[in-house]
Amino acid sequence: MSIGGEKGSASTKTPADFLKSIRGRPVVVKLNSGVDYRGILACLDGYMNIAMEQTEEYVNGQLKNKYGDAFIRGNNVLYISTSKRTLAEGSS
Amino acid sequence: MATEEESTVKEPLDLIRLSLDERIYVKLRSDRELRGKLHAYDQHLNMILGDVEESVTTVEIDDETYEEIVRTSRRTVPFLFVRGDGVILVSPPLRTV
Amino acid sequence: MATNPSQLLPSELIDRCIGSKIWVIMKGDKELVGTLRGFDVYVNMVLEDVTEYEITAEGRRITKLDQILLNGNNIAIVSDNHSFNVYMPLFREVTSLWTISQTN
Repeated sequence: MSIGGEKGSASTKTPADFLKSIRGRPVVVKLNSGVDYRGILACLDGYMNIAMEQTEEYVNGQLKNKYGDAFIRGNNVLYISTSKRTLAEGSS
Repeated sequence: MATEEESTVKEPLDLIRLSLDERIYVKLRSDRELRGKLHAYDQHLNMILGDVEESVTTVEIDDETYEEIVRTSRRTVPFLFVRGDGVILVSPPLRTV
Repeated sequence: MATNPSQLLPSELIDRCIGSKIWVIMKGDKELVGTLRGFDVYVNMVLEDVTEYEITAEGRRITKLDQILLNGNNIAIVSDNHSFNVYMPLFREVTSLWTISQTN
C-alpha cells in the first residue's frame, strides 16, 4: 500500500521534504505547553529535536526571554511553522 | 580539518556537545530552571550538571485580591543528574543575547 | 485477523485527503484546519494555509499559519473540512465569538 511518504507527486510534501526545505530559515516552533519560540532554524533531527539561533521565547504572545543558541527537545514540539503569523485573541 | 568537523553544528545534539564543560541553562517541565556546568549528557538529554543553581517558579492567586503572586525559590546543588524526559530547552548562557 | 481486500486502511484514508482541507483535533483544547500536503508513518503532517484554534486561560485564540509540520504525537482525530463546517457550530455555541471567522 502507499503511504504518503512514498508519493512523488508535485503537490505532495512529506514531513521529510518539509524539514529539508526549512533549514536556515526563520521559523516559529510551538510547544505543547503553548509557548512559542521564534528564531532561525539551525538544524533538526528525526525526533524533532531542534537547534535554533537568535531565539525568542513568547508566552501568551509576550516576549519572555532571548537565547543566542537554543536546543529544544523534540517531544515538547507541537508544530514547526515557516510563516510570519498573524494572530488575534477572542473575547473570553 | 578535524577540529572544524568538531566545531560545526550538523544535528541538534551537536549544540549540546559543544557546551560540554561550559555553564548551560536548562529549562525543565513544571517551571524549573537550572544553571550549571555540563559534565556529561547522552542522546536522551540525561545530563550530569555541577555547581547547579536551581530555581522553581510558582504562581499563587491571592484569596482576597485575586492577584497573581509569582514566587521564585532558589537553591544550589553541587552535583545533579537530570533525567532527559523533563528537559524542554537547553541553552549555553554565555552566548545568550 | 482476517484480511478483507476491500477494507480501507486508516493511512489510506488519510492519503486520500492529500490536497484537500482537513480538520485535526488534538489532545487538549486545540484544533487545526488546513490543506494536507503530506504525512509520514507517525502521521506527522505537513499542512498549508492553517488556522489554529486554541482555548487558553486568557481566552480563545486564533492563529493563521502559512505552512507547518504538525507533530503526530498529539493528534486525536482527523476529519474533513465539511465536518468542521457542520459540527463546529454545534460544539461552540456561538462561533461568532471567534475573532477571525474561519476561511475556506
